[in-house]
Amino acid sequence: MKNACENWKDQLLEAALTGSLTAGLQEHLRTCTICSEELDNVRARKARLDTLLPLVAQGSEPSANFRARVLAAAEAAREGKRAPWRVWTLAGATAVVVVVLMIAVTLQRRTARMIPGDELAAAQKLAEWRAPSDGLLVTPGQEILRTMPRLGESYLNVPVKTDEEE
Amino acid sequence: MSALIARAEAQNPEAGFRERIAENQRRVFQIAYSILGNSADAEDAAQEAFLRAYQKFASLREAEKFRAWVNRIVFRLALNRQRGYRRRLARDTAWQMTETPLMVDGANDAEQLVMLDRLRREIERLPEKLRAVLQLSLVEEMEAADVGALLGIPAGTVRSRLHAARKLLLEVMK
Repeated sequence: MKNACENWKDQLLEAALTGSLTAGLQEHLRTCTICSEELDNVRARKARLDTLLPLVAQGSEPSANFRARVLAAAEAAREGKRAPWRVWTLAGATAVVVVVLMIAVTLQRRTARMIPGDELAAAQKLAEWRAPSDGLLVTPGQEILRTMPRLGESYLNVPVKTDEEE
Repeated sequence: MSALIARAEAQNPEAGFRERIAENQRRVFQIAYSILGNSADAEDAAQEAFLRAYQKFASLREAEKFRAWVNRIVFRLALNRQRGYRRRLARDTAWQMTETPLMVDGANDAEQLVMLDRLRREIERLPEKLRAVLQLSLVEEMEAADVGALLGIPAGTVRSRLHAARKLLLEVMK
């Protein structure tokens, strides 16, 4: 393309795209074979572009099982959403069981503590009860064995009865 | 009749969702495909978009609402994937001088495949505003109004950007 024809380049593109020629371009084409050839080239390119462009988007279809795949994925997502509820339900049930057990143990302990008065008195008596034969087992030296002498004192501090006392 | 359908859908939300997938899957897939350029990635993006729609299905029962929402989501998801892919490609092949060819499905012969690959590269080089309009306009059932609604621009702007994009492609695809 000659330098002088460069000015017509844009109009040639427009002519190919719109299919209409301006009066100026028509006039120029009558005298310029280069631009006439260029217009043919641009028109051919436009035809090729028209064939190719739809293929950019429409050259392919989604696979036959696309819908089934989407539905399966949606189902899986829904199950996944449900799963946390299951975990929470399980956790809640466990918490309820633990609370019930704690209440049961506490109640049981409280009941054990609430012994009736007469039973308590009987138990006290039983604890203080000594067999009558215990008195026979008391020896004179028993008091000595129960006490610990101070430092320097005699271990055997047996009270001695004097004659005066007698 | 519509009341009956609505009642049936309320009782069985799965059925309604299934129907929405059937209505939208082709277009949603193609939006992703127009940006990502291969079926595997496009299906993944489309599936993710439908899963997100499923999670919000209670508020997307109306067909038109569902359509607009899922279009927007798949577009964003595909763009995000593409950006991640570009970053990885730039990082992994920074030491290489050769370009890794993009995967292209749907071409009939080797020459067309090469041309399509080149076209994809040229589309990638378009200014972002023009590229987004072109990619979305190539999807079936996507009218200028749909593209405009998705991108938040008037239908007239969609048409003018589409024209500009085609003109740039026509210039570079020699």
